[in-house]
Amino acid sequence: MNSKPYLIESLIGLGATMIIAAALGLYMLNEPARITQAQTDVLNLQLDEAMTLYAENCAVCHGLNGEGISSVPALSAPALKTMPFEELQKTIARGRYQTAMPAWSMQDGGALSAYQIDELVLLVQYGDWNKTGDRVINLGLAPLVPFITDPDPALLAEIAKLPDGATLQTAVRIFAGTCVACHGADGVGTSIAPALNDLDTREKLPEDLTRTITYGNTGTLMAGWGNTLQPEEISALVTMIKRWEEIPAGTIPAPNIPIPTTQESIALGSQLFAANCSRCHGPEGQGTPRAPSLNVKSFFVDKSDQTIQQIITNGVPGTAMPTWGDRMSEVQIQAIVGFIRQWEATAPEVATITRGGGGPPWKRNNTNTNTSLFGLLPSTNTTTYTATGQTGIQQALDWRTLVLAGIILTIAFTLISSGFSALKKQKK
Amino acid sequence: MDEQTPKPEPSIFERMRNRLTPDGVPADERGRMRMVMESLVLHIHPAKTDVNSMKWTYTWGLGGLSALLMTILGLTGIILINNYTPAAPQAYLDILEINSNVWFGELIRNLHHWSANLLIVVAVLHLIRVFVTGAYRPPRELNWLIGVVMLLLVVGANFTGYLLPWDQLAYWAITVGTSIISYIPLIGQWLMQLVLGGPEVGANTLLNFYSMHISFIPLAIFGLMSYHFWRVRKDGGLTLPKSSKQLDDPKPERVTTIPHLVNREFIFALGWSAAILLFAMFVPAPLEGIANPALSPNPAKAPWYFMGLQELLLHFHPLIGAIVIPSLAIIAIFTIPFFDLNLKSVGVYFRSQRGRYLTALAIGISLIATPVWVLLDEYVLNWTLWLPTWNTLISNGLIPLAVILLPVIFLDDWIAKKFQADTEERALFNAAFLFTAFIVLTLIGIYFRGPGMSLYLPWNMPVVVH
Repeated sequence: MNSKPYLIESLIGLGATMIIAAALGLYMLNEPARITQAQTDVLNLQLDEAMTLYAENCAVCHGLNGEGISSVPALSAPALKTMPFEELQKTIARGRYQTAMPAWSMQDGGALSAYQIDELVLLVQYGDWNKTGDRVINLGLAPLVPFITDPDPALLAEIAKLPDGATLQTAVRIFAGTCVACHGADGVGTSIAPALNDLDTREKLPEDLTRTITYGNTGTLMAGWGNTLQPEEISALVTMIKRWEEIPAGTIPAPNIPIPTTQESIALGSQLFAANCSRCHGPEGQGTPRAPSLNVKSFFVDKSDQTIQQIITNGVPGTAMPTWGDRMSEVQIQAIVGFIRQWEATAPEVATITRGGGGPPWKRNNTNTNTSLFGLLPSTNTTTYTATGQTGIQQALDWRTLVLAGIILTIAFTLISSGFSALKKQKK
Repeated sequence: MDEQTPKPEPSIFERMRNRLTPDGVPADERGRMRMVMESLVLHIHPAKTDVNSMKWTYTWGLGGLSALLMTILGLTGIILINNYTPAAPQAYLDILEINSNVWFGELIRNLHHWSANLLIVVAVLHLIRVFVTGAYRPPRELNWLIGVVMLLLVVGANFTGYLLPWDQLAYWAITVGTSIISYIPLIGQWLMQLVLGGPEVGANTLLNFYSMHISFIPLAIFGLMSYHFWRVRKDGGLTLPKSSKQLDDPKPERVTTIPHLVNREFIFALGWSAAILLFAMFVPAPLEGIANPALSPNPAKAPWYFMGLQELLLHFHPLIGAIVIPSLAIIAIFTIPFFDLNLKSVGVYFRSQRGRYLTALAIGISLIATPVWVLLDEYVLNWTLWLPTWNTLISNGLIPLAVILLPVIFLDDWIAKKFQADTEERALFNAAFLFTAFIVLTLIGIYFRGPGMSLYLPWNMPVVVH
């Protein structure tokens, strides 16, 4: 052994010791700042989860931005932020007697764990309601916005010809101005209120119907209307409910409610449009010989968001437009509708149809990431999650795949050839 | 006068020092040597060590690194125990608390997490090193067996620890991982219930895993580790590296363990400690949202070291993929010291020059064959569809097994005939082939499986948002 056998090793050891000491020292200096930051991060993480919980459980009654719907109170009110933690927690966990607020705690038969309820309390105290609204939209859970509508004039005139037509006309007007918000167009019901034009409702006693309308139904969203409506108006409504089969469909039409959008939903819509729709409708929706233009004034004047959504979901029988409802979720379809709708402001009067969507693969705007490795071939042991009709091979063969395959093949062939030739030589 | 002055009472520090070295530090070299001989270090190491066995490029310090990682895990683990409650959902809140309210809490957790994952890699590399240098041959068979048992215990420790943060990642990885138990014939369901403490992962599972993680498994590893070290000495120290060209013994050159070996060990431990510390400071351990039994992520994956196994499950009947193949592999690893008895090649990397070429050949072929087979099985082969009336144990178990075993047997036969490979070389070739296949499967499982466990390219991986 030479005289300085471990010079290099000793230097490494010294270096490592100094690194450990210095790193620990610097880390400690930064520790208070890190803890503060970590606490903010934890709060943000919990608020983030709370926003999803809100979208899934609360938005339907408390509204998109916590603004409250009809008789349900707003959560965005500043007074709630200063309410004691325990009071908010108890309200969510146990519900509020004689209101529509049910108990949410799992212990009381609800759907939420204690931890989730705590997160919701944090949302009420510290949450950003605009961001919460965006989350609700992105998850496709935007609640029905209260709306009123105008009865169809032609059909309203027809109703006048029915026996006691004037009463029915009055009732239709009241319904269109008040009840339609929750009970839906033509009284077909919505996610928050039952249908009124069905046989079950019709068979109820007039006294029961009158009582429900006048005093409301405790434990549901149905408010008491006795203070707002006159007794004869309520009795007109009861008459209409009992004779609903005589009222033609479409008398109380659904209004044109735009589908709410966010930056994320439009970005998603843009991706999905590029991947699925641009082949036939053109990259800018200008239309091609295969499919009509979407980016044109006349299209937007004609179609409400609901109509476009229905066309995409169900397709157009007898044309090349396929049924997308079984390939895409409602959220995805609504995102596409939102993306198409934002062209309205700049849509030209006359469309210039192009031969769009083609070109060599590298010129195409393939932003879709939702394709399996070989989308052409269905996987044998699982369902593939392809939201597109595009070929996967096209996308699988990008430069990264080629680099990866190249590296693997180079290593493998080097090993094989060197091993093989050396073995052969040795044998001789 | 001076001689008559009573000697002053030794101070408490002097008395303590005297207890440590009752006779003082001897002046002569021989006496100092004796003192060293009686020290703790020499209960583990011999007084003199062969220079050749200390070569970095022979052992790579993998065994020592495993011991260092176990020490880090023990120390950080004790600190974590003090800040943790094994109850759902308090466990998750405690982890948040450790991250956001405990001084050095996040660092300690990161250290524990990354050391545990590194330990799996290092322990496997240690096993490979011992295998390719033939260091498990007599008289070291028993120590090989103990090492394999410890590797299984390390995996068990990692797996039980995986659940403790009680986040979504932990919950579903353990759900997927433990579901493999239920494929054991006859007792599978019962055994899974026993391990989970109920029909599914829940509060009882957390308590079961916690107890295992902090008591039985560390105790067992500690006991076996001590025995493992002792056995190394009893079996005559480490095997000595030999040049692969000449198999005759290298000239032994022995130096005193203190300071030569101990210095190296300390420097090695310091270097790795610094590296792990820096890594833990900059890379946080993953933590997802709180465990939610109602919301399974897509895809739900087992811990990364079980992804090779989960990948096998996609290609075989569960009984074959989850029980038969892994059991055969473990049996093979356990029994190989009793078949492979060529003492001449002990200490030679890959046994001989030919062994190196054969290993290169095996790895090369496996690197191509495994991905090709995975793609074929995913997109082309569909035995259950082609043989609809057959029992799936045959159509999706034995037939695919035969389909992959035939080429393996053919390859084995081919190298035996073409290159006159002997039994030892054939064992090496097959081990290299199968182990490479396992690594490739693990990587495919980790990086190429997406929603619904379909194949995706990592850069095209869709994210399923709930």
